[in-house]
Amino acid sequence: MDQIQYYDANRIEGRSMTIIIDNGKLETISRNSSKGTGIRALCQGSWGYTSIDGETDLETGIKNASELAASMNRTTPKERVVLGGAPKRKVGSMPVIKINPEDISIEEKVELLREIEKHAAEEGIKSTRVSYSESVLTTRFMNSEGEEKEYSTIKSGFSVSAVAAVGNNYQAGRESRFNIAGYEIFEKNDPYKLAKEAAEMAKSLLKAKTPKGGAVPVILDPELAGVFTHEAVGHASESDLVLQNDSVLSGKLGKQIASPKITVIDDPTLHEYGYYPFDAEGIPPEKTVLIKDGVLNSYLHSRETAGVFESVSGNARAQGYAMPVVRMSNTYIDKGDASFEEILEDIKNGIYLIGSRGGQVNTGEGVFQFNAEKGYRIQNGEITDLVRDVSLSGQTLDILNQIRMVGKDVKLHAGHCGKSGQTVPVTDGAPHISISKATVGGA
Amino acid sequence: MAKINTDKLFPENSISIEEIKSNIEKALALSEKLGASDAEIVFSINESTGIQFKKDIIETAKQSLNAGYGIRAAVNGAVGFSGTNVMSELENTLRTAVASAKVMEADPFFKNFPEKAAYKEVGGLFDDKIVEMSLDECIECAADMISGVKSVENMIPTSGGFSRSVSYFMIMNTGGLSAQKKGTAVSGFADVTTQSGEVSTAYDYDVSRKKDIDFAAIGQNAADLAKKSLKGIAVGAEKMPVIFHPFSFADILENTLVPSVDADSVQKERSGLAGRLGEEIAHSDLSIIDDGTLNGGISSGAFDDEGTPTQKTRVIENGFLTSYLYDSYTAGKDTVKSTGNGYRYSYSSVPGVDFSNFIIDFPQSDIIAETKRGIYVNTVIGAHTANEISGDFSIEGRNAFLIENGEISKPVKSVMISGNIFEMLKNIDGAGKDVRSVGGVVTPSVRISEMSVIGE
Repeated sequence: MDQIQYYDANRIEGRSMTIIIDNGKLETISRNSSKGTGIRALCQGSWGYTSIDGETDLETGIKNASELAASMNRTTPKERVVLGGAPKRKVGSMPVIKINPEDISIEEKVELLREIEKHAAEEGIKSTRVSYSESVLTTRFMNSEGEEKEYSTIKSGFSVSAVAAVGNNYQAGRESRFNIAGYEIFEKNDPYKLAKEAAEMAKSLLKAKTPKGGAVPVILDPELAGVFTHEAVGHASESDLVLQNDSVLSGKLGKQIASPKITVIDDPTLHEYGYYPFDAEGIPPEKTVLIKDGVLNSYLHSRETAGVFESVSGNARAQGYAMPVVRMSNTYIDKGDASFEEILEDIKNGIYLIGSRGGQVNTGEGVFQFNAEKGYRIQNGEITDLVRDVSLSGQTLDILNQIRMVGKDVKLHAGHCGKSGQTVPVTDGAPHISISKATVGGA
Repeated sequence: MAKINTDKLFPENSISIEEIKSNIEKALALSEKLGASDAEIVFSINESTGIQFKKDIIETAKQSLNAGYGIRAAVNGAVGFSGTNVMSELENTLRTAVASAKVMEADPFFKNFPEKAAYKEVGGLFDDKIVEMSLDECIECAADMISGVKSVENMIPTSGGFSRSVSYFMIMNTGGLSAQKKGTAVSGFADVTTQSGEVSTAYDYDVSRKKDIDFAAIGQNAADLAKKSLKGIAVGAEKMPVIFHPFSFADILENTLVPSVDADSVQKERSGLAGRLGEEIAHSDLSIIDDGTLNGGISSGAFDDEGTPTQKTRVIENGFLTSYLYDSYTAGKDTVKSTGNGYRYSYSSVPGVDFSNFIIDFPQSDIIAETKRGIYVNTVIGAHTANEISGDFSIEGRNAFLIENGEISKPVKSVMISGNIFEMLKNIDGAGKDVRSVGGVVTPSVRISEMSVIGE
């Protein structure tokens, strides 16, 4: 029973460049070129996977992966995996790239980055850093079912950060923009304005207070609400985690798990940073409604998990030629009907949390922790004192049910998501939302 | 199974280490003609096997070969970097690095790449048994972790895995430095949950340069911890002593203290410890040593990734801040010697300052028995969200327990712990006898006299 029932290969070839300006000094110009192949083979219930840097002979690679799978199947035989969910869909169009970044000289890029840094180096700012990156990647996919296709993408992005300090009080502000885009990213996003905003943020935080911790009503801005959506809801919707009992959403399909005001969507077809024309299993994706009016509607799938759930796939992604894993793309809470003023009015007293310094979640128990960049006290429906070092923690299901109001102002934010040791580009977002009670950490 | 064989690294392409060495020599000679004053080329190769399981099923066997060149070229002190994993692209990659350096402005702080030096061998970094492991042996290690988990009632893995790796690193520069090092490692990781009833999760892992890990114990420890964490009680908001397990203490240190002693952050004034050398910053019984020469250490080696000999660097001695950590560039800037802390994530990344093995030394005692009331925290989530400059953090403690009258009494549901690393260093008032190495941080459990704890 050593027969290989399926194999596929992702061959990636690309170039990338990073430029960093730090405290006025052009610190790094780093350029990389790479090639490589990742090959999977399936024998009954065992996967064999081989990845090789550089030039590879595809046939040898397929043979290696097949031997690994067959050998695994001999040692630890298990139930046959049935790959499902390979819908015949049209491959979507790629976002239009207006200015190929490789057509712009390094000198011109450096000059622009220096100018951006100057806008962050305001009085009172102790140190600044601007980084820029671009990459050109071609992905070729083939499998044993006769599929063969490829696409090329260009990604660009930049970040600017500023640190303000008084004595031992150090505060940072940071802004970043990334997209599947060319050099026009600097036209679509005003880098000078963002640099100023990073500096202003750092300076204002110096004077901010640290609130007393406790359970209070909160408003989350689109960025932090987006992080919550991605980390707490999105990851728990990944079917590989669901199948391994590592998701608080296991066994909850069709059940009311959130306030009826909440609809959560993952959409790889949006021309945003998480876009892809087909996934790492060659499947053109579609929009998935994860939560519809508070009811858990669907998980995200690879072909293997789609086979188990009799669903459709399209969310198997990989960093380069690593082994594909079930991943999100562009994930957001859909727009509601409240204006920000109405949300403020309704919440009366509490804390308005803004931006994100990152977070972490235990998907199995549904427990999360996020740090906001800053916050404001809300008193009698009005925004008052600035606060810092504020974090939000709680139980995912608890928070989903305590959502009071959902705004109209959906905003997406590009970032990088890590899982299984791989990083992929994603966006997450939401409108402003309010929560009746959540644990806010402070001093 | 593919093996690292120094004669024939790429059987398919028939490229040997000797050929790579001669290609690098040729490229270094060319760098001068291209206008570089100094050049450095590293070549690294990593061969690894991974076995992954989901629930109690071993699903995937992975085998990977990563290899490539990283090049630094200096023109007027400005250093350009370029990398590739395409063996035939070495010369073009060098040209790219030189071209980048020419775009950059002169940098008077750049002295040169590290000079040729004598190295002392560090033991315990290479184990032939890891090189020779068969696929079946690798699968067995994963199976041992699974049975370890299942030896505890009602516990099952969610996911986990085993990995083995063999690496080889070569560095040469135009100053005449030429060095090679190799290493091996095995690791195991198990994430567990309850099979039915109340959900309780935990994890454990271990990593070693030798094939000496008890894989069943990893599974069993994680399962025991998840089981003990069932039926957690809620605590209110309180200030009390907190004991951090090596896992949680290492996680906090890596995200706060480590970046603060990085000379690069210090020079850029992005460190809360900038300008504070010689100051008393911690409890007078606390010493911290960065030791790249530690026998069998996860981050040990005879030299760092720039070719500088590794050493023992006293970062904190009896409470006083005694040294920052330097790579060759930051050392040149402060006109001191590199502490041998120039590291790279991979051949394709620019080297920078990083810690090697961070050894925490504090007088050890039975800290739980000596604690009347407090919280014991095994792991934390969110340590990476700390403000690494000010040292402020607010994190979620997991698999936490209440300590009452010198004993672990009850599991505690999630607790949020807020604090500041620099205050913590002053308020350390005890360390356990349970030293372990957590990703290069070698530490016992540590007690902080008072912290702000908020239950849910």
